[in-house]
Amino acid sequence: MSSEPIERRVSYIGDRLRASRCQICGKEYFEIRDYCGNCGRESYGKMDNIDLFYDKGTLEYCTLIDEPTNKFRKLERFIYGIVSFHNGKIRVPARITDQLLKENTDFSKLEGKEVTPRFRRRYSVGKSDVIPTISLAFTLTDEYYPYQEYKIIQPTKDYELPGIVGYGVYSSKFRIKDGGIERAVPFIDEDSVTAAVEAGKLALIHSALDSQWIGKIYVGSESNPYVVKPIAAKVAQVLQLGEPDGDLQAIDAIDTEFACKAASSMFKDACALVNYPNSNINYTMVIGTDNSQAAPRGCPGGELDAFVGYGGAAYIFGKKDVIAEIKAWYSCTSDTPDFWRRDGEPYPMHGGRFTGDPAYNKHVRHAANKMMEKTNMKPNDFAYFVPHQPNPSFPARIAKELGFKEEQYTPAIQMQKFGNTYSGASLVGLAAILDIAKPNDNILVTSYGSGAGSDAYILQVTNQITEKRTRQKTTIKTLTENPHIEYIDYATYRRFKEGM
Amino acid sequence: MQNNRPVIVAVGRTKFGEHYGKKPEKLIEEAWLAASNECNLERKELDTCYMSDYFLPVTNKLGLEEGFLSELTELHVPMEVTRSFSAALKTACHAIEAGVYSIALVGGIEKMTDRWGKIRDDLMLLEDPWSYYAGGTPEANHELLLRAYIKKHGIVGEDLERLYGALAQVAVKNHANGAKNPYAQFQRKISLDNVLGPRRAANRSLGLFDYAPVSDGATALILTNEAVAKKMGVTPMVYVYGCGSATDYLNYSAREELDHFVAAQLAMCGALKESGLLNVWDIPLWQVYDQSTMMEMVSLEDLGYCAAGSAWRSIAESYPNEKGCYKVEGKELYVNMNGGLKADGNPLGATGGAQIYELFRQLTGKADQRQVTIDGAAPKYGGALEFEGFGTKAYVNILGRD
Repeated sequence: MSSEPIERRVSYIGDRLRASRCQICGKEYFEIRDYCGNCGRESYGKMDNIDLFYDKGTLEYCTLIDEPTNKFRKLERFIYGIVSFHNGKIRVPARITDQLLKENTDFSKLEGKEVTPRFRRRYSVGKSDVIPTISLAFTLTDEYYPYQEYKIIQPTKDYELPGIVGYGVYSSKFRIKDGGIERAVPFIDEDSVTAAVEAGKLALIHSALDSQWIGKIYVGSESNPYVVKPIAAKVAQVLQLGEPDGDLQAIDAIDTEFACKAASSMFKDACALVNYPNSNINYTMVIGTDNSQAAPRGCPGGELDAFVGYGGAAYIFGKKDVIAEIKAWYSCTSDTPDFWRRDGEPYPMHGGRFTGDPAYNKHVRHAANKMMEKTNMKPNDFAYFVPHQPNPSFPARIAKELGFKEEQYTPAIQMQKFGNTYSGASLVGLAAILDIAKPNDNILVTSYGSGAGSDAYILQVTNQITEKRTRQKTTIKTLTENPHIEYIDYATYRRFKEGM
Repeated sequence: MQNNRPVIVAVGRTKFGEHYGKKPEKLIEEAWLAASNECNLERKELDTCYMSDYFLPVTNKLGLEEGFLSELTELHVPMEVTRSFSAALKTACHAIEAGVYSIALVGGIEKMTDRWGKIRDDLMLLEDPWSYYAGGTPEANHELLLRAYIKKHGIVGEDLERLYGALAQVAVKNHANGAKNPYAQFQRKISLDNVLGPRRAANRSLGLFDYAPVSDGATALILTNEAVAKKMGVTPMVYVYGCGSATDYLNYSAREELDHFVAAQLAMCGALKESGLLNVWDIPLWQVYDQSTMMEMVSLEDLGYCAAGSAWRSIAESYPNEKGCYKVEGKELYVNMNGGLKADGNPLGATGGAQIYELFRQLTGKADQRQVTIDGAAPKYGGALEFEGFGTKAYVNILGRD
């Protein structure tokens, strides 16, 4: 769509599935309404804004579309139908997504199934157009992505140091098995923006915080589909972060970029902000998200194609009901051109053999050692070490060299399950540890960003971690050992990665 | 009021189909000249023109259609554009009834094949934007309505197979009728297998031969009052007895009833009331809006000829029968004798005009091979149901001769 105002209005309603409910008779409407048809003028000013974003619906009727309209052509074939919410009080048109349909799929069996709205790209547009999005895309709740209730719980316990209060990891249901590892592949309507929203949504569910309490959002990515236009703004609007003020959100939102450490770098800033006296910001969110880019195999830069993955992780920081305190950090930087992507180029280039010793190894080694030196800690003092993980060999080699034992670093290395999720990589590794860590465990995290720099953090797990774990159905384990994962071939992988 | 009852004195149309070399203006000129010739009318006698086109501004970038009509007719009379032919006819009827004008040209036009590659996107976006944003296609809404119908009425097993068979019969019947219509887009008969084959191949409830095509074409009629018609020496007089219309929500999924068209029911009530006819069976001749075979089936119920959930059974039980009519409880109902949208074609803005064209020919006994006779004479009343969008607007026109 070339009209920005229309695009704004459609996505404002459609991304969140905003709806209205009459206070007098309870009638509900998709879209925001000022009055109710049943109650007429009496209902003016008595319509509640509701939304269906965290709801689940029922697929009432469906059919197969295998000759889509032009803008949906890249989806080839999909199930389309009508989804009802609240026992039929609201009905919306629905595209069922995340389905690789075979010929002769019996779609009639899907009628009556529960579905969850998913935030996705709406349809294809020209390369210079605004990318339209919508949540009228749904997945089946008994499949890869379960329905989870978003329940707000008032936090009770105060902590001296800021730390992680909740987190969420999202990756798609599609994987490619290749070269001994599995890599996540976005469905064709997914990208780094949709993964950021999903991860943020899961983090909110896990933390049980009201999204209005978030005061700042940072999104680190190197695959933002825009050079100019922040992912963070989309995330803030869709997740309704910060207090809504008319159609604005009272929140600061910013995108950051430093190759793979764009997000991990912001942990300390996010902590500093909640620790700032009288800032009135109690919570901040950091998301690392990437639809990691790589040129096709055989092209310059195509070596990366064997490693790139897809996914995002979101962390919420605060000083109440903390699950892991940030005890200390250290960062180092040098101008080392080991991996880069020029403006206007679709795929990154890398320095081949020079991405190892003078780049990854040097920075990660230095940051980890300096961190331990500063805090007088030894590898033995840590239950886990989370290295940045661009490929299967680098993280294990550096961990061993630093003096960590296999049981300390192996659980953190998830690269062989998701692929290299770039800005999400060390964040996904950390999530794998937080999923299993015990109270009082110390964790050392070292991220790495090409170009180049490394951030080291020391986290100490609190005893609230155990209770909070029960709030979250989506874990690294459910994402990687999910029976609904679908494996695709190389041609499909490239097609999905290029998107709609 | 009696003197001002609207009378159709002549009709004209083009062949429907693909008119690659012709501008939209050329098509309406052809239809209008045919109608004028039929009643020997000079263009300077026209008091007004009402023209319909669904989306020429989108398909042909023509935004001010009144301007090209003025240029074409070299007239400066008042002209108005509506979206459907029935809307134009209804507005013209009101003007004649009110005595504002004496002679009106009512025309309809559409040129869809010029934009073949984008027509479904354009249609869907105008017809139901939220469904379009969710990935919907024009065909998907038809199939969903059919799903809703089947579920609502609990049609399963053998009955379901018979329903699908009945829908195929609708297409076969309409093609057989189209074969007798020299203006129809498709003038060939088809077999049941022609309909069922593509359905099976696509694993769908409705297939290629269940849907009306994309068409170019134009239609026109001359509308006047009884006094002028008498002066013109027209016999028999074909009156517009009733024009009913109704509306429904743009977004199909938001509607209260998903298994039929509420607007069609309401439009029929309005038209019957206006016509003063008490029994639907006074009208044995219909042109219904069969954008799909499903729509013809559901329309039999919405117009009141079959009980809800039973039309498929009546259709199935009507065959074989050489008259080409439906038999409902022993009564004969003649539907889409021109081939319907399925065979005659569906140039949106002109389609309603082709429906009126057929009714006019039938009522005046000039429908040639397609002529319906009731008790040895041409039918006395005929009706037309037209939609705009997917049931968003419905129009029912009831015509009758003296």
